[in-house]
Amino acid sequence: MGNDMEVKKKKKKQKLNCRSSKLLEIGENVDKVVQENKENKSSGKKKRKREKGNQVHAGEAVKFSIEDKSNEGERKRQKNKSSRKKNRKNEEKNRVVLGKVDRPEEEVAGPGQSKTQSKTENSNRPEETSVAVDMRTSKSKKAAKNKEEKFTKSSKKQVENEPDEVYHISSGDEDCSKGMKKWIMEYHQSRPGLKILQQRIDEFITAHEAEEEQARKEREARASEGGWTVVVHHKGRKKTTDSESGIAVGSVAQAAVMDKMGKKKSKEIGLNFYRFQRREAQRNELMMLQSKFEQDKKRIQQLRAARKFRPY
Amino acid sequence: MDSDTIMEPMDLKVRELLKEVQLDYSSATTKLVDDTVSAIKQAIDTIPEDLKVTADFAPQFVRDIGADKVEFNFKKPKLFEIGGSYSIRCVAKPDVDIDLFVRLPKECFHEKDYLNHRYHAKRFLYLCIIKKYLNSSSFIRKVEWSTLQNEARKPVLVVYPAMELAEVPGLSVRIIPTATSLFSILKLNLKRNNVCSLKQDESTPQATPKYNSSILEDMFLEDNAEFVKRTFLGWKELGEALILLKVWARQRSSIYAYDCLNGFLISVIMSYLATDSGRNLINNSMKPMQIFRVTLDFIATSKLWNTGLYFKSQSLLNISKEELLERKQYLRLFPVVISESLAHFNLAFRITGGGFLELQDEAVLTLSCIGKCKDGGFEELFMTKIDYPAKYDYCMRLNLKGNSDVYALGFCLDEECWRSFEQKVHFLLCQGLSDRAKFIRVSWKNATSECNVENGLSIFDREPLLIGISVSSLEKAFRVVDVGPNAEHKDEALKFRKFWGEKAELRRFKDGMIAESTVWESKQWERHTIIKRITEYLLLRHLSLSERNIVHIVDQLDFSLVNGVGDSISFSGSLLEAFEVLSKRLHLLKDIPLKVSSVQPLDSAFRFTSVFPPEPHPLANEKSAVPRLNKLTSTCIQPLEVMIQLEGSGNWPMDDVAIEKTKSAFLLRIGESLQNNWGMICTATEENVDVFMSGYAFRLRILHERGLSLLNRQNGSNQLKHISSVDKELFTRGQHSSMINGLQGCYPIYGPVVRLAKRWVASHLFSACLVEEAVELLVAYLFLKPLPFYVPCSRISGFLRFLRLLSEYDWNFSALVVDINSDLSPSDEKEINENFTSSRKGYEENAQNVNPAMFLATAYDKASEAWTRFSPNSSELRRLVAYARSSANLLTKLILGGQIDSYKWECLFRTPLNNYDAVILLHREKMPYPQRLLFPSEMNQGKHVAQGNASKAFHPFLLPEHMKGNSPDLKDTLLVDFDPLRCFIGDLEAKFPNAFKLWYDSLGGDAIGMMWERSSSKKRGRSEENEEEKDPVNVLKAVGEVGKGFVRSIYLLKSPRLRN
Repeated sequence: MGNDMEVKKKKKKQKLNCRSSKLLEIGENVDKVVQENKENKSSGKKKRKREKGNQVHAGEAVKFSIEDKSNEGERKRQKNKSSRKKNRKNEEKNRVVLGKVDRPEEEVAGPGQSKTQSKTENSNRPEETSVAVDMRTSKSKKAAKNKEEKFTKSSKKQVENEPDEVYHISSGDEDCSKGMKKWIMEYHQSRPGLKILQQRIDEFITAHEAEEEQARKEREARASEGGWTVVVHHKGRKKTTDSESGIAVGSVAQAAVMDKMGKKKSKEIGLNFYRFQRREAQRNELMMLQSKFEQDKKRIQQLRAARKFRPY
Repeated sequence: MDSDTIMEPMDLKVRELLKEVQLDYSSATTKLVDDTVSAIKQAIDTIPEDLKVTADFAPQFVRDIGADKVEFNFKKPKLFEIGGSYSIRCVAKPDVDIDLFVRLPKECFHEKDYLNHRYHAKRFLYLCIIKKYLNSSSFIRKVEWSTLQNEARKPVLVVYPAMELAEVPGLSVRIIPTATSLFSILKLNLKRNNVCSLKQDESTPQATPKYNSSILEDMFLEDNAEFVKRTFLGWKELGEALILLKVWARQRSSIYAYDCLNGFLISVIMSYLATDSGRNLINNSMKPMQIFRVTLDFIATSKLWNTGLYFKSQSLLNISKEELLERKQYLRLFPVVISESLAHFNLAFRITGGGFLELQDEAVLTLSCIGKCKDGGFEELFMTKIDYPAKYDYCMRLNLKGNSDVYALGFCLDEECWRSFEQKVHFLLCQGLSDRAKFIRVSWKNATSECNVENGLSIFDREPLLIGISVSSLEKAFRVVDVGPNAEHKDEALKFRKFWGEKAELRRFKDGMIAESTVWESKQWERHTIIKRITEYLLLRHLSLSERNIVHIVDQLDFSLVNGVGDSISFSGSLLEAFEVLSKRLHLLKDIPLKVSSVQPLDSAFRFTSVFPPEPHPLANEKSAVPRLNKLTSTCIQPLEVMIQLEGSGNWPMDDVAIEKTKSAFLLRIGESLQNNWGMICTATEENVDVFMSGYAFRLRILHERGLSLLNRQNGSNQLKHISSVDKELFTRGQHSSMINGLQGCYPIYGPVVRLAKRWVASHLFSACLVEEAVELLVAYLFLKPLPFYVPCSRISGFLRFLRLLSEYDWNFSALVVDINSDLSPSDEKEINENFTSSRKGYEENAQNVNPAMFLATAYDKASEAWTRFSPNSSELRRLVAYARSSANLLTKLILGGQIDSYKWECLFRTPLNNYDAVILLHREKMPYPQRLLFPSEMNQGKHVAQGNASKAFHPFLLPEHMKGNSPDLKDTLLVDFDPLRCFIGDLEAKFPNAFKLWYDSLGGDAIGMMWERSSSKKRGRSEENEEEKDPVNVLKAVGEVGKGFVRSIYLLKSPRLRN
């Protein structure tokens, strides 16, 4: 026991030291603080291992993020190009279709798309000032609609079943903000690769821990302003390994507590020990029966209302 | 205190039931009956006396029945008397038919008319005359033919009065001729032959007990009615019990039939029990329900059935020797004997052995219902319909219309040809199925209204012959090899060969025995068709039937489970193997900070309840070599969730977000490690980590034990909210998975039934309303609480019962408790009940909205929070119930006698699209698994609002240009868990919150139903948005934009109601 106490004291001292030192160098970078802090407190080997891992990863993360950006830039450019190409292709195809197919709906579709770009300059409605990417498409839609109206009017005789206009939705292959293209893109974006994901998580955890530490420190600082020494109960970090054998005991202790709790219960006085208990239990049971009976009665009334007794 | 409070719920319910079914003997009703009877009398009075009657009135009938010398002079009936249930005030609605006995005058018959169906012919001709004159009466709406207990040679007239009373719709009077003391009883002794066509072919005349009984029945009709009347009149409880028994029997179409029970026989059995002869088992102090129970108990267990029931006559106390001999003879001839000792006539001569077994079995089941079901089993006893489709695992229909082989030997010999044919079929099936079947019921109802019996008996084959088969156990039913007699027993072997024909083969078995046997080779997942194959083979071989006249209801719904070419459940074996390997590898991982302590499957594919368990994907395995890809290689792969638990550690962070991030970090490490150690490919998002192995994609999830222990500790307290919902969800899913897995192990047919049920739910666009797990629990309930049935042993009967459960369960007032392994203690049940009542508290104020509308409680979820907490809500449930009801009705109809074509069966899964306000149709070729689409949807109504082109960004199958690429690239084209429908729905819900409700099929339907959400007055503030936004057409256009490249077209059926 004595040994244990000493260890604890030492720890406390260390912590105090560390706190004071940290108070001095507030401006220092957060990463370091967290590291120190952890090294001070955690005696588990595993923890340390992970720390190291974190450090390494953190280093990598920076690199990666830079790469990522540059990559993204490139990708965007490429995409723009390719989408433009696709557009052109589409248009061409549409024109071909226009020549061949004589169904009125498709006729509407063809020119509606191909003329979008020329139409965009003319229309300037308030909704179209949203996102850069959206701009073109929404305009084009409007344009397409306008076109459609004209076409449907002209081809009304042909469309007998659907005298009203049929709005046409483009395939959306040129537009990444909506529909299938967007979903596919989101799918691919959500899977950047294990490394990057790992980085993101590490970053999050470091930031998170730092934040927590910061909050804790502020709290303690506020409290100790009045000359009080704050004794904090450290949840879950009390003692994770046995100092002598090095065996993890955290989970065992929990089990032990549970066990103890189970034992405690058995010591309590039985539910039907005292006469008043028994009487109460009896009364409760009666009340239960009565309430159940009332319920049944109510139910039957409802059933009767619903005519649920007719077997045919 | 009103009288209700002193009674038990069961008594109260029974009283209400009796009120519903008892006939009110009001003055109006009795007057109607009396008027009708006197109208009949008057009509008969107009018949001229001594009218010459010859066979010319109905030549075909007389010829078919084989009677000679049938001329007589008409005389008026000697007596009119109302008998049957009306006379003892025991009519059970809705069938209000009043028996009117009309005593045939002796003058019309000769002494020897009991021979050769002369009596039957004259009886019929007599009725023909009456019918002719009745038709002219103005009091009578119509007169129809019917038969007495399905006996075609004994038709009766059904008279419908012109006036109808609202209280007794469809009231009719049956004119039943009686033949009191027409013939000598001795001549009709059971040993005697009275049909000469039977005499000819054999030297010793064959006795005709059935024929004799048929005449004797008519002779004693009045006496027996009188006897029953004596017992019942003035004994209210007995009468009420009779009505209860009638209601009970009528719900069971397999026993309330001509060859089993009828109202008269029930009353006879009860009279027996109420008199000395039955040792007064029923006495005056009993209540109706007690009498009901005693009678059932007698039917189910009494040993007296082995000796026969005999009414003691007052004069004869001790039984003479001849009497005993006679009795033995009875028992040899009839499976059931109920007889008056003096009458020498078996009242139960129509009951067949099969029918009686069925009756006893139903009685046993009912008794256990009374003991085990809640509220004394009222629902199960009286309100649940137990018809062929729901009761029997396999139903068959033989269409024998126009099949002359049935009556090749003549229509009526001792027995009628239809009954003999039934026996033949029954015998064949019993022998062929041996111990596979527990019960085989063959029944051929001949009576059809609106048929002219005058034109002969050949019309009686119109209705199909119905066969019901109850399976004894699934192992036996699915057995592939039937071992016959040993080859050394020559005679038996020969018999076997004769019976089975070319199917019989000599086989040597493992134990060295060489025996005749039949082999029904079939794949594991097609074993349910073995019974079908056996029966069809035998019927074709032994009866001259063509294949299209045999309809065996067994695999008609299997089309809905086909994924492309075959049923992908066949891959379940390889899936489980892959999972085992994965589990082993996870346990072996060393380079992760915490070891894996347990691995548990979560996905329904692991427990055989997934509609489409994944098939191994050629690209999703460890090898880097490119496998040969066939033309239709999917680009999508379903991930299968697997739950991992890690060994305990105190180093976990404390708050939810951090825990989840840490889990992800762990999973990434695990994925990397798997990749390094075994070359398994791993792909991840921030939330999920998927690994590819043996053609499957496994999605790994971690259950953090802290959440779990918290859950255990705080059982019952309200702090549950504190536990991270992710862990809680994982925990319940784990519990559910292992529970259902256990159940599936006990009942192999559970899986297919669940799959059909899930497919049905999805195909009617209820995917958003009823989660898979809820369906699994509902079906589990059928297996755990099968009463008043046995556990279903076929997918169709199971599916039908699922539909009926859904449509008939009293969701508003009862919780559905699924208790696997009977884990629940009384206190658990109390807790569930309390939870339920508290959830229903709001009902009084607002019947429209109770949450959860469908209360599903299990051992792991006593408050129904896991699966049905938010959906279905009350209105969704109502819709679900309505759909289930119509589907159940359709399925019943199809089993009992629908057309043979498959279209009608498909209708069970075709959903009408006109029940929505708007419908979105999707591009079929852009769905991840186009082969799962059941029926392509098209709209031909509503206003076509928008249409769209398909996107080129996504293809469900690998394109040829992809196939050329090398493996890693190829693997990148594989999309895990990509579901455009889900993305679309998600985007719509985000963009138009509360604007409309969406109905969709997540299993591969190409239609989405939309319903405008009724906007409440609170949201008025928002209605100031510009008018254009409100216009439904504009909304739908915007909806189409959200689903660019996926939406094919949008139709508007109904505009939303104006907001005010």
